[in-house]
Amino acid sequence: MLVKFTLNGDPVEVPLKTADRLLIDVLREDLRMTGTKHGCGIGACGTCTVIIDGDPAAACLQLAALCEGAQIRTVEGLAGTHSLHAVQQAFVNRSAFQCGICTPGHIMAACSLLDKNPQPSDEEIRASADSVYCRCTGYVRIVEAYHEAVRLTARTLK
Amino acid sequence: MNQRDPRYTPPGGLLVVGRDVPRTDAIPKVTGSAQYVADIHVPGMLHAAVLRSPHPHARIVAIDTSGALAMPGVKSVLTGEDTPRIKWGAFRPDLYPLALNKVRYVGDEVAAVAATDPALARAALERIVVQYEVLPAVLSLDAALAPGAPLVHDDTTGNVAHHFNFERGQVDAGFRASDVTVEGTWESTRQWHAALETIGCVASWQSGRVTMWCNTQTPFLARGRYATALGVPESQVRVIQTEVGGGFGGKSGDDNASVICALLARHAGRPVKLIHTREEEFLASHPRMPMRYWVRLGFRRDGTVMAKEIRMLADNGAYTGKSQAILGAASVRHDALYKYPCARGDSTLVYTNLVPTGAFRGFGNPSADWAVEQAWDLAAEKLGIDVVDLLRMNAVEPGDVSPHNHKITSCELRQCIDKAAAAIKWKDKRNTHADNRGLGMGCSVHVNGRRSFGDWDGSSAIVRVNEDGRATIITGEGEIGQGALTVLRQIAAEELGLPYEDVDITRPDTDLQPHSLGALASRVTYVAGNAVKSASRAAADQLLEAAAEQLKRPASELTIINGEIGPRAGPESEYKTVAAIVRANIYKPDGQPIIGVGTWDNPSDFPDHSRYGNESGAYNFAAQAVEVEVDRDTGEVKLLEIAAAVDCGTVIHPAAAEGQVQGAVTQGIGYAMVEYFDWYNGTPTDPNFIDYPIPTAGMLPKMHVIFADSYEPSGPFGAKGLGEIGLDAIPAAIANAIADAVGVRITELPITAEKVHRALHPELYASDARTVASAPKGGLWNRLMAGKPAGAQPFSPELVHAATVEQAVTLLAEGESALVCGGISHAVRRERTGYPQAQRLIAINRIPELNELSVDGHGVLRAGAAINHQKLLEDEQLRGPWRALYDSVESVGHTRIRRMMTVGGTVGPLIGGFDFPVALLALGARVVVASPAGRRTMTLEALFQARLEKDAVLVRVEVETPAVRTGSGFLKLMPRGVIETPTVNAAAAVTLDERGRCASARIVVGSVSWKPIVLDLADCTGQVPSENLFRKAVQPVRDLAEPMPNVRGSALYKRHMAVELAFRALRVAAQRAL
Repeated sequence: MLVKFTLNGDPVEVPLKTADRLLIDVLREDLRMTGTKHGCGIGACGTCTVIIDGDPAAACLQLAALCEGAQIRTVEGLAGTHSLHAVQQAFVNRSAFQCGICTPGHIMAACSLLDKNPQPSDEEIRASADSVYCRCTGYVRIVEAYHEAVRLTARTLK
Repeated sequence: MNQRDPRYTPPGGLLVVGRDVPRTDAIPKVTGSAQYVADIHVPGMLHAAVLRSPHPHARIVAIDTSGALAMPGVKSVLTGEDTPRIKWGAFRPDLYPLALNKVRYVGDEVAAVAATDPALARAALERIVVQYEVLPAVLSLDAALAPGAPLVHDDTTGNVAHHFNFERGQVDAGFRASDVTVEGTWESTRQWHAALETIGCVASWQSGRVTMWCNTQTPFLARGRYATALGVPESQVRVIQTEVGGGFGGKSGDDNASVICALLARHAGRPVKLIHTREEEFLASHPRMPMRYWVRLGFRRDGTVMAKEIRMLADNGAYTGKSQAILGAASVRHDALYKYPCARGDSTLVYTNLVPTGAFRGFGNPSADWAVEQAWDLAAEKLGIDVVDLLRMNAVEPGDVSPHNHKITSCELRQCIDKAAAAIKWKDKRNTHADNRGLGMGCSVHVNGRRSFGDWDGSSAIVRVNEDGRATIITGEGEIGQGALTVLRQIAAEELGLPYEDVDITRPDTDLQPHSLGALASRVTYVAGNAVKSASRAAADQLLEAAAEQLKRPASELTIINGEIGPRAGPESEYKTVAAIVRANIYKPDGQPIIGVGTWDNPSDFPDHSRYGNESGAYNFAAQAVEVEVDRDTGEVKLLEIAAAVDCGTVIHPAAAEGQVQGAVTQGIGYAMVEYFDWYNGTPTDPNFIDYPIPTAGMLPKMHVIFADSYEPSGPFGAKGLGEIGLDAIPAAIANAIADAVGVRITELPITAEKVHRALHPELYASDARTVASAPKGGLWNRLMAGKPAGAQPFSPELVHAATVEQAVTLLAEGESALVCGGISHAVRRERTGYPQAQRLIAINRIPELNELSVDGHGVLRAGAAINHQKLLEDEQLRGPWRALYDSVESVGHTRIRRMMTVGGTVGPLIGGFDFPVALLALGARVVVASPAGRRTMTLEALFQARLEKDAVLVRVEVETPAVRTGSGFLKLMPRGVIETPTVNAAAAVTLDERGRCASARIVVGSVSWKPIVLDLADCTGQVPSENLFRKAVQPVRDLAEPMPNVRGSALYKRHMAVELAFRALRVAAQRAL
């Protein structure tokens, strides 16, 4: 069984080892795109968050076969050759990470929110940050990074 | 040093230390390029899986591995008999890499497989047959210590793994001289590190040497222990530290994972990767050690502390690891916090047939603080002194020496108490004392390194200054996310006089770096920082000597600033770059590179058997204030504000330091009130993040982090450690705040809403006949009890897309099939039970009819089965008349989950606990069902009575626009404060007549019976809505509920909450009807 989708703007075509192969295994094992991290396998922790057709999605629950034709974005697709994405830069500026294992998940959740809503309220930001576990930071600096990303994005648009 | 140079002297005299420089690990971590152990791929690599004991205690009679070995792709199968049979462990070697003869806890490693694919390795475990003779197990401290109890280890009589006692000073006299004494017993519990990266290893042997890529916190200590277990000399093990995805003590090399990985690699002759599943992390990593802690304190009437006595039992689990040291820390460390003149203690470490416990941030202190900091709060109450004043007057000061010879050097505990109290407005709030709100405080003390593994708590480092003027720090201490690389670079840059960006640092590789102990005991900044500073000083001195020769000036007149060397008082034109000096010093006859070597040993004592001795050269301190609000009707505790004031000496990287405290406080909150399991037969019944969530962003209070003005003379630039201090006192501070708020004291962790509710309303629980827990049921439990791993896939289903509803019905009728739409049910089931839903999956997500969401001309809302919750949420129409539906999809919490939860997936299974159907039932929804017999429309209520046939497809739900003056609402109880399976969910719809009286009222309550309870409240008809009316009307719910006890509450608590939630939903609906 083959599945075709767009990954970070590039077309990919992956033979699925099993019909119910999960997107996280396709990304990490078949495509060796290891930026997306495995956290729990049951969609609870959000560590494996990627963006599918604009929405955040748990790659550990996503059947790859159902991604036919989808636009998928992962953390590897954010930075330009010489510059970080505004959300990545915001996480750097605010030191909004420690061990970093959940950082790709948090960054993808933030990107998904800001793409749809470039001026989110603090409540909307907290709701988005609430969707991904972080065991290190206590989330304070992650929420600050969302606000910083809003500022950086607004500056770029001007 | 440059700080004396007037041209460059900033306030405080430091150029790099104290600044938020960009973190060393920033770019790899935000781009996804950081290499964690699971990301490592070595050519030819095999994948490991481990078979674990399903029994807490059993004799292994026989193991047959032939079935697994016969599978194509399986390259190695090992049991204990195939290993070197060497016991290992930090202090008391009692652990075999794979069990020999006996298993001692659920999760104990029995056999291991290496195969060409991870799923194949797991599937091969199914083919290993183990014959056990189940033995009686000791599953609690009391059972383990009972006379004649079964022995966990045959050579350990009485199951006592370690015992010590101490008496310092005149304790009896101290109590006799006391006017007031307090005493009590407090119980703490297990807490898992729950690092979001699980434990793992990649091992590869060549010529008798093994390279192990490990996510360990302590590369050199891990090397030593692994070498023992593998039966090879230490230098033949090369540990390379990968990026570490969270440690907190859980990756300090006490578990078997890496050893098994290396054994498999040696046996298979190929590299092997072993990564714990999340479930294995809960079964077999070593959580925080629970303790039963009795404490008695004596005071003079003026509040002066006179005496302290403790007696403590600690649950070691089946193997010891570092537990002896944890026992010691929990027994004596607290005595360095207040001016205790004397102390007596008796501490026992007890083997049980439970998961081995081990090091976790705080290292025993959170359990000690849970008891002692509450005892101080009780004392304050009894003495009639505000606890802040009581703690303050007894706080240790510089120059104090504890009864155990802890020598207090720098100490700003009083400043911490004052600043925490000021930040939370302690005095104002205590004076006004708002209803159901309360304040609590707790303090703690921690070491900065500790002499644990022999009489050395040192670190060594090399600093090389390269010919391009950049320096390289060569250290084996390593980064585990706390910012160590950054902090060590700052220290080196400051000491060398180089810009921060010009200092690089190596990652730990035990083949390359000098000996070091790694990230434990809050030691890296203090101990490794001093070693790096010392090496940097040596390199700087060499640089100055070289420059003196080249510039023809005495070294004493020279200084290094921002990468340039010149005369301190001379013109800038006389400065040369460090690069030029180094290059000229190498490229000359008999030239030499600039290499500074530094070693630093903590100025502390190796404690004796009774734990007498100055554990650390310096101590850090914290005071933490918490404000809570308690809901008396549910027992829920809401954290309003936390202030954490910390004395860690000089703050080297403010952002990283704040992050350490914020993260530690959050783990403390998790320990206090979020993180706990249901247990049965010695094991968690659902070892994953479903039953055991961790705190999330939405539940956290406003957090103040304050650093005391402090300077530690023995620390690098005045710094001390701070990795652990922020966690220790949080649970006690929360309990103290609850006591202040509502007058009940929780003495047993975790603090659950139910415990608070029971304490507030004992009359509601008078009739509670505690039943013996029955065995859990279901596929997950069956798999666990077969000792099989998560994620194994014995067979793979096929997947077909259905183009129409009718085609889906036809395919379903052929049998052995299941529907997938969002795919969530299938993926979760596969992970949890090990089995796919069916041989064939029928994807219905592309059927156009199922993707329709509309409101027709008659005001009927139609939502197709493939519509997901996120689409529903984004539909503006739902916020109007169908408000209960909106509330229910909103309450699911996150876009990530909402986009996978479909109408069909939540309604079709007809499960009483799902949110959306509860809301639909309140609004009298209909469903359209297609089956081989054709289509039919019926109420959802009727469908719940009838069940959905196996070959039927739910097509859509339909909801009429409610009558005018109808209000509806949905709410649910999730007392841990995080988004999870609700304890109870409830919806209501109320229609009022023109006079404002109830025309109709319906409530629906979910999660407390197999089907949701639906009640039309006839008694309300014609009545004016009021709290009394509603409270009375919902009472029948109490008897209709048939709740199952689980981690979310006992049956009786759920019964009470079902009534409460029904009432609240009704109240919301009535308000909206107005």
